[in-house]
Amino acid sequence: MQLNTKRLVNIALFELVRLFLTKTGLLAVAVFSICWLLVLRYGIAEAVNLLSSPDFSQFIDYIFGAAGLSKLLTWPEAELAIYWLIAVYSFPIFCLFLCTDQTVGDRQRGTLRFLSLRATRMEIILGRFIGQVFILITLLLITLLATLAMLAYREPSLFLPGLLRSFLFLGYLIIAVMPFIALMSFINTFARSARLAFVVAILFFAGGNIIIGLLTWQLPALAILNYIFPGYQLADLAAQNAGLMLSIGVPLIQTMVLLIFAERVFARSSL
Amino acid sequence: MSSLIKASGVTKQFGSKLALDSVTFEINKGPPVALVGPNGAGKTTLFSLMCGYIFPSSGDLTLMGKRPGNAHLFGKLTALPQDAQLDPRFSIIHQLTFYGQLQGLSKVQAKKESARVLELVGMGDAANQRPKDLSHGMRKRVTISQALIGQPQIVMLDEATAGLDPVHAREVRELISALSNETTFILSSHDLSELERLCGQVLHLDNGKLTEHSALSQSTNNQGFVTLRLSQQYDDAEKVFSSLPSVRHVHKSQAKEYVIEYEKSDEAFDIQLLQCCHLQGWHYQQLINGHTLENQIFHKG
Repeated sequence: MQLNTKRLVNIALFELVRLFLTKTGLLAVAVFSICWLLVLRYGIAEAVNLLSSPDFSQFIDYIFGAAGLSKLLTWPEAELAIYWLIAVYSFPIFCLFLCTDQTVGDRQRGTLRFLSLRATRMEIILGRFIGQVFILITLLLITLLATLAMLAYREPSLFLPGLLRSFLFLGYLIIAVMPFIALMSFINTFARSARLAFVVAILFFAGGNIIIGLLTWQLPALAILNYIFPGYQLADLAAQNAGLMLSIGVPLIQTMVLLIFAERVFARSSL
Repeated sequence: MSSLIKASGVTKQFGSKLALDSVTFEINKGPPVALVGPNGAGKTTLFSLMCGYIFPSSGDLTLMGKRPGNAHLFGKLTALPQDAQLDPRFSIIHQLTFYGQLQGLSKVQAKKESARVLELVGMGDAANQRPKDLSHGMRKRVTISQALIGQPQIVMLDEATAGLDPVHAREVRELISALSNETTFILSSHDLSELERLCGQVLHLDNGKLTEHSALSQSTNNQGFVTLRLSQQYDDAEKVFSSLPSVRHVHKSQAKEYVIEYEKSDEAFDIQLLQCCHLQGWHYQQLINGHTLENQIFHKG
């Protein structure tokens, strides 16, 4: 196995820079920031008002209870509870958009030919993957800090416990999005364009779920196949009902398997 | 001479199409090597195999004793692949610095090195521009510069001067010539006169099969060749040249061009030939000692 840490870090950092030095990257950050600004202002802030309103408490209890999210209502950091609910579902989907072009664009343009004379294919795949993880960490940090600021503005005494909970969120969310990034790394090894990579990802989730649904209907034991889908644990994770294996083990194993597939296919493909 | 590249029975098949048919050759450290052949002959396929972009269907190919794509070759083997482009979104200096860093240079060294290679191809002023803001020829020169980063031992340039204006094409040729003491260049081009000027060894590919030539050759101990290009068509030129005492055979290779086979003697044949032209009142354009590469490849008869 030819893996050089320095080259790996260089490739990953180059990806991170791509987000902040290119027009398309900056545009993505701007769109992302505006969306989250709206979410914070009209989603989280309003939801917190509703959660703390005695008029709505019974209704909210009912809704959250029915959705299995009662645990979230017990948190004093209501902003973080709402943030968690939104982030745990939106970041993986956002991730599919963000990571559509990990290697496919460079392969079509021939840029990978310059790169592959200076880095192994494994370093390219892993470096790009790590770079995308860096980008997601950056974006998650921005949103978490903004939510924390809102929390501290409402109730300064909640800042410290909120900060600790934010670190936990960051860890869980990064691990939750990793298999989505790895899935796009894999799809990028055979897709012919970034757009096609996104379509393949959607087909994988939509078509795959239908096929496994039908198989499970015939043979319930095949429900285990659901574990091939990144995000299978998200509902349990959102409700804080997932054990360590489900919230950390499953996505890490999925990530590893997808990256191995990606590397194997990439190592055999023509550039 | 140390062997840099060894290919033994290398075959590449794309589906039912045989792109390379059991190609065997060896390239040693030394003057530039030309890779020639018509479109679709397999030149880019051979380049791609040597760079590790694709893999042979069978046969053995090693560069400095390693398989293509091996990490030991990073920085020692560089290339200008045909039609490959830099990322249009980043500045040129940013990308070249990144490549330098991947080759093991520090960020400061890589930046300095990038500026140096850009100067070599006359693109120093464009360092902070993005590739999409440059013309085709300028982009080509920038991509040539990336192949010169560091101290590569082998540089493969696929159609390096295609699309360049004559002045810059000449500059690139001069650059290759100046660097060929330290680096072995492998060049593919359709401009045979360009390759003739630069290269010693010539690998000729046709329909996936390889033959070797030297840029100017085919003289033996008692037999020599010259290629004479006249400035205009003279009807009886073939007959007049044939009448010279040491001439064995005259062959009109193309319009205004004659390949003359002669018997070597104490007298200088080229002087005799030029005197003959002078006496006839004929003007000549070029006298080449030996066969031109073009004639070797396309006018074997």
